[in-house]
Amino acid sequence: MTAILRTENLGVEYRSRELKQGAKVALKALNLSVQPGEVYGFLGPNGAGKTTTMNVLLGYVNPTRGAAYLFDVDVREPIARQRIGYLPELTYYYKFLTAEELLRFYARIFEIPKSETERRIDELLKLVELEHARKRPIRTYSKGMQQRAGLAQALINNPDLLLLDEPTSGLDPLGRMKVREIIQRLKSEGKTVFFSSHELGEVETICDRVAILHQGELKVEGRVSDLIQQYQCNLEQVFLKVIGYKPQLS
Amino acid sequence: MNKIFAVAGVVIKELYRRKDFYVLFILTVLITLLMASINFFQDIHVIRFVKEGCLFLILLAALAIAVTTTARQMPSERENRTIFPLLAKPISRWQVLLGKFVGCWAASGIALAVFYLFFAVMAASREHTLPLGAYIQVLWLHWQMLGVVIALTLLGSVVLSFAANLTIVFIVSLGILLVAGHLHKVASGMTEPSASILTVLYFIIPHLEFFDMRDLIIHDWAGTDLPSWLDVFSATFYGLCYMAFFLLAAGLVFRRKALN
Amino acid sequence: MVRARFILILLLAVCFSLAAWLQPRRQERLNQGVQTGSVLATLLGDGRQMAADYFNVRADIYFHSGYYPSVFDQAREEEEKDSDVSHPEETNAPLEAGFRGPPQDWIDGFSRHFRPDRHTHLRGEAVAEILPWMRLSADLDPHRVQTFIVASYFLRDYLGKANDARDFLRAGLMANPNSPELRYELGRVYFENLKDFPHARNVWLGALRSWDEVEAPKPLKTDSGEGERDIHLHSRILDSLADEELTVGRTNEAIAYFKQSKADSPFPARVQKRIDNLEAALHHAGSQTNPPPH
Repeated sequence: MTAILRTENLGVEYRSRELKQGAKVALKALNLSVQPGEVYGFLGPNGAGKTTTMNVLLGYVNPTRGAAYLFDVDVREPIARQRIGYLPELTYYYKFLTAEELLRFYARIFEIPKSETERRIDELLKLVELEHARKRPIRTYSKGMQQRAGLAQALINNPDLLLLDEPTSGLDPLGRMKVREIIQRLKSEGKTVFFSSHELGEVETICDRVAILHQGELKVEGRVSDLIQQYQCNLEQVFLKVIGYKPQLS
Repeated sequence: MNKIFAVAGVVIKELYRRKDFYVLFILTVLITLLMASINFFQDIHVIRFVKEGCLFLILLAALAIAVTTTARQMPSERENRTIFPLLAKPISRWQVLLGKFVGCWAASGIALAVFYLFFAVMAASREHTLPLGAYIQVLWLHWQMLGVVIALTLLGSVVLSFAANLTIVFIVSLGILLVAGHLHKVASGMTEPSASILTVLYFIIPHLEFFDMRDLIIHDWAGTDLPSWLDVFSATFYGLCYMAFFLLAAGLVFRRKALN
Repeated sequence: MVRARFILILLLAVCFSLAAWLQPRRQERLNQGVQTGSVLATLLGDGRQMAADYFNVRADIYFHSGYYPSVFDQAREEEEKDSDVSHPEETNAPLEAGFRGPPQDWIDGFSRHFRPDRHTHLRGEAVAEILPWMRLSADLDPHRVQTFIVASYFLRDYLGKANDARDFLRAGLMANPNSPELRYELGRVYFENLKDFPHARNVWLGALRSWDEVEAPKPLKTDSGEGERDIHLHSRILDSLADEELTVGRTNEAIAYFKQSKADSPFPARVQKRIDNLEAALHHAGSQTNPPPH
């Protein structure tokens, strides 16, 4: 089966502005492969390269070496993003637009027909429980409401691949539960979910496979159950072992 | 094109949801009405003075709206990080840039039309004539001028901060309007290499005075000495060339810019 | 406690003295401001003379319906005038000849399609369009006498607003009480438009007195041409007085004025001819000579 998301020796270097410092290597020869229909967790400590990987997949940053593909299309082509949905960690949407206008705008970018657009807007606003606030500008929304609006925009094109960056960050327990439910629902519909998170408990619950990144390198990749069995501990401890964390003895 | 118009639609919505346009329009109306109400001598009705004041205010207000709206686009997208969910959609950076340009130009055009409608009503109420052809020409050319300025501002917005871009574009635009047409006269009185530099500058800068028909409207040349439609279309083509050049430059810079 | 009271009394005394010293200076400053009390004058401060110059130029631009040399064109004309001293008459009235000349390049040529490109003057009631600028200029610099004179000329001759012309000249005289030109113009309004001959005569006699005070002490010729005695104005005032005398039938007084005017007139032969004609007419009519008016 062809991977829905694939990186081949992906490398990214940032040139430092300081004269004495050389290039900073953010990613070293990363090889990832996400199969259709799976929920894939992308883990790593801060500065591991998760955000850089996301930036390359979304076309914000060009790779220095190697390549990345979505649906077998190079990520540098805009069409590669036709069938994906992206939910950023922090909500970045036009504050002067209403949720309804925002969804309509993004639907137009996806060239979804008007009748279909209206139907999806109604459906999504109901799903994320923003029907009552659909005509209000986003600047009047609470953080949770903005996050839910973000989830709606990530689903507007009925994506086959969902990229989520810390999807439960800043949400209350109820909000987190709703996000988990949505991810599981998407999985049951055959969608693929690729998300980065620091909430290892959540990852352990919902992910089929995980990859752990550290200092730009892929340290381990595999099914959650296989890793737990291999390391004989829970996912958090697997994570700590893989990144080489040694607890200080008191 | 649909994607470009989608981005343009958001820009237009932003303009009419901000206060800028309404404040400037009300100020223009109030100052014009104040000028019209001044009685210099009893029973002497003057209109050119009022027309000049109104057109000058329209020039400044339209420039302010166009430049601030445009200068704000890319820096705001970066600072508010709205560029990220936008570029995560199947839209290229060229399309985003063109969408911003079309949106800013259309928004400025709508604002300009409202200003000129007020001007036409005010002038017609005093002169009891409505030289429609002349007003259409002056509106069209003014809109082309704004297009050139907007394209220049967009180029600035992908390299400069909002404040720096705003300042530079205002100074350059007003400077061009005031002196660009006279640079060759100044150059003829200078020594080399200044004369050559000024001459080159004279030929390469966009001559915004081609789009400034205010004197013809103020001094009632509408009935006799209007530019031909061929001249208007030639000026339009001239403006479109500069718009294309600035947008191309902006696109080449923007497509290479890292967004993180 | 005693020391604190002493300090307080001392402070009060200092404040009172300061106030007493400042008050007359403030009053004097306010009185100066009364003469040019418009909002624009207050805002512009000493820059108001520059603004008045600018508004005068705007009036001229309006008179020529926007066809006017820019500062760059004027600078070039000055350079050409300085370098071409052998033919000064060719550089006179560049506006009349068309200051732009042939287009220097395609940009220059194309831009002319979008600006006024013919030399015209406003006519009839359209001249009123220049008046707002003249009014503003006069408000900002009321000591610029020419503004009042030109505006009143257009008011009375083009627009038929003799009363407005009179009032405007009077306003000019308030700021320039000793101006012989303003008095002369005011006399013309009374004489030519309002047909108030006695009033015109009084005003012109006042103009003569002002001329004696202001112009007579000046040298006849100066090196730069500035500050010279305006003998032509003197001649015009005397000619006008003579015309007034003729209108009311006092020919001898008219002849006396013409004789005084001849010395300063740029056309003495013409004046002499008028004197000769009047004397001939008197001789034929057998009328008595009157003593000179003053």
